[in-house]
Amino acid sequence: MTSLIGQTPDMRRRRAAETRFQWYGRGAIFASLAFLAFMLWSIISGGLGAFFTTDLMLEVDLGVQNIDPENPAAANYRAIWRDAMKEHFPEVTTRKELRALYGMLGADAEYELEAHVMADPAIAGRKVKLPFRASDEVDMLLKGNIDRASPEDGRPMTDQEIAWVDHFAAAGDIERRFAWSFFTNGDSREPELAGILAALAGSFLTMLVCFCVSFPVAILAAIYLEEFAPKNRLSDLIEVNINNLAAVPSIVFGLLGLYMFLNTFGLPRSSPLAGGLVLSLMTLPTIIIAARASLRAVPPSIREAALGLGATPVQATFHHVAPLALPGILTGTIVGMAQALGETAPLLMIGMVAFIVDVPDSILEPATALPVQIFLWADAPQRAFVEKTSAAIIVLLIFLIIMNLAAILLRRRFEKRF
Amino acid sequence: MAGTREPVIVARDVNVHYADKQALFKIALDIPEKEVTSLIGPSGCGKSTFLRCINRMNDLVDSARFEGQITIAGQNIYAPDVDVVALRREVGMVFQKPNPFPKSVYDNVAYGPKIHGLAQSKADLDGLVQWSLEKAGLWDEVRDRLNEPALGLSGGQQQRLCIARTIAVKPKVVLMDEPCSALDPVATARIEDLIDELRQNFSIVIVTHSMQQASRVSQLTAFFHLGKLVEAGRTKNIFTSPQDERTQNYITGRIG
Repeated sequence: MTSLIGQTPDMRRRRAAETRFQWYGRGAIFASLAFLAFMLWSIISGGLGAFFTTDLMLEVDLGVQNIDPENPAAANYRAIWRDAMKEHFPEVTTRKELRALYGMLGADAEYELEAHVMADPAIAGRKVKLPFRASDEVDMLLKGNIDRASPEDGRPMTDQEIAWVDHFAAAGDIERRFAWSFFTNGDSREPELAGILAALAGSFLTMLVCFCVSFPVAILAAIYLEEFAPKNRLSDLIEVNINNLAAVPSIVFGLLGLYMFLNTFGLPRSSPLAGGLVLSLMTLPTIIIAARASLRAVPPSIREAALGLGATPVQATFHHVAPLALPGILTGTIVGMAQALGETAPLLMIGMVAFIVDVPDSILEPATALPVQIFLWADAPQRAFVEKTSAAIIVLLIFLIIMNLAAILLRRRFEKRF
Repeated sequence: MAGTREPVIVARDVNVHYADKQALFKIALDIPEKEVTSLIGPSGCGKSTFLRCINRMNDLVDSARFEGQITIAGQNIYAPDVDVVALRREVGMVFQKPNPFPKSVYDNVAYGPKIHGLAQSKADLDGLVQWSLEKAGLWDEVRDRLNEPALGLSGGQQQRLCIARTIAVKPKVVLMDEPCSALDPVATARIEDLIDELRQNFSIVIVTHSMQQASRVSQLTAFFHLGKLVEAGRTKNIFTSPQDERTQNYITGRIG
C-alpha cells in the first residue's frame, strides 16, 4: 500500500526512534525520582524518631525534709531523684548496679527536677510523680533500635537494665513527647540532651555575614562588568576567571580562608565572621554569574529608551535595567546562599568543627554550623546520634527547600514580560 | 542643499566605520528646522547609522568609529566638551519597535522630565504629561488608565506613548527609526498624521523603508545607497524628477 499518508518503512523507523527516545527520557526521570524518594525515605524514617523523646514518670519525695519551701533553690535535687530511684527499685544495692540505675535517667535529671519545682513551687512539700527525660539507651530501646535478642555483651544495655525499663513500662510510667529540647539545646556529649540550636544560630550568623559581604560586592561587580566595563581582553579574562572560580572545590576556599582570614588578618578561629567570609568567597562567583545573566536578559531596547531620553548610564541601569533584573539576581543569590548553607568542607578548615555547646550570640564567638553538626554527629559512637544525624539533615533540608521555594516564588511574583 | 528654512542640523564629511567596514562615506546633509526629513534607501545603506550619529547612539557600539562633523544649532556635537547626556536631551529618539518602560503610562512620560528636573511640582509634571500625551494624540485613549502598565496598550498606542515620552523633554530634534515598521496600516496612518502635526514644534528626521510614507510625511528626502548620500532635496522633486539614475531606479522599484 503506497497511499500518500500511509506508513513507509522509513517513516516507521523514524517513529520508532522517536518513541524509543521518549521512553529513555521517562526512564531517566523515573530513575532520578526513585533515588530522591529513596534518599528522602531513608532520612525521614531514620530521623523522625529524634523529634520525639521518652520520659520516665518517677514519684519523688519533695517533703520538707528534702526541700525548704522558703528556699527551694538550696535543695539537693540530685539526692532527691536518686533516692526516688532507689526507693522504686529497693532490690538494687551494689554501687555498680546503682550507677547503672541512675544512668536510666538523662544526665540533667536534677536540673529537670529543679525546673519542675521552680515552675510550680506548690508541689514542694508533697510526694509527686514527675516526668524525667530517659537516657538515650532507654529511649533507643523503646524505639526498637536496640535488639533485645542479641547477646547481652553485644548490646549497650544489660538484661537488668532492660528489666528496669520493662518495670516502668508495666506500670504505665513511660511517656513519649515532642522533643523540644532538640531545638532548644546546643550540642552535648549526652545524646538525650544534644540539640541543634547552637548549630542553627551558628549557621544563621554565618549566612548573615556571607550575605552582607557577597550580595553587595557581587551585585556591584556584575552591574559594572555587564553595563559599564569596556569589552576587551581584560574583561574577557575576568569573565573566564569568575566562571572558573565558581567551579573551584570548596575545600580550596577553606584553605584560602584559613591562610588569609585566620593567619594573615587574625580573625577569631571558629567564628561565624571567618566562616561567613570564606563562604562568601564561594558564593560570590555564583551570584555574579546569575546576576550578569539576568542583566543580559533585559532587552537592550530598555537601555536605549532610557539613554535616548538623556538618562545617564547609571540612571538607565538603576532606574530601568537593574529593577528588571532583580528577580533573577535574587534567585541567584538565594541559590548561592542555599549552597553556602549546605557547605561543610571550608568550615572544617577554619575550625568551625569544634564541639560547641553554647549558642553563639555574636559573629566573633566560636560557633559551628548545621552541616558541620551533622558531620560531627555522624561520627559519634552512640546509637542515639544516628537518629539525631538524620533529624538534623531533615532540618537542613527543610531550610534548603524553603530557600529554593522562596527563589521560585520571587521569580514568579516579580517576573515581568517585555 | 535645497532647504527653504534655516538648517538645524548640518552634517559634513561624515564617515563611520564599524571595525574594518566603512558604513558611511563623506555624508554632507542639511536638515531644516521644523520640517520632516526622511532618509530612504535599501537595507544596509547606512541611513539608520546616520540617524544614530545625530544623537550619538552609535557611541554605544564599541566597534563604531566616527569622523567628520555634525552641528546642531551651530554646535559641533562631536566636540570633546559635549556631554552626550545633554545632547540626547535635545535630540530625542523613537525606535523601530515600541519600547515603553515596563511601568505605568504616566511614569513612562514623566521619566524624562523627572531626570532632567523639568517640572517644579507634581501639578507641573501632571500638566507636562498631559501636554505630551495630547501632542502624541494618545490623551483621550489613556486619560483614565494613566496608572495602568504601559505594556497593556496596543502596539500603535505604545509607539505613540514612546513619542509622547520623547517630546515630554521638549527636544529640538526628534529622530524616528522606522517608527511604523512594527505597526499595522491603521496605526501607521495615525502615527503619520501625528508626525505631520509634530513638525509645528519639532524638527523631525525619520528613517523609513516605505517610499509612500516618505512622500506622505516628509518635506525633504535624502536617498542613501551603499553608504553614500546619493541625492537629497525637496520630497516632491525627489519623487517626481530625481536627478540621479540610482534614485530613479530605487523609487521606481528597480533596485532595493
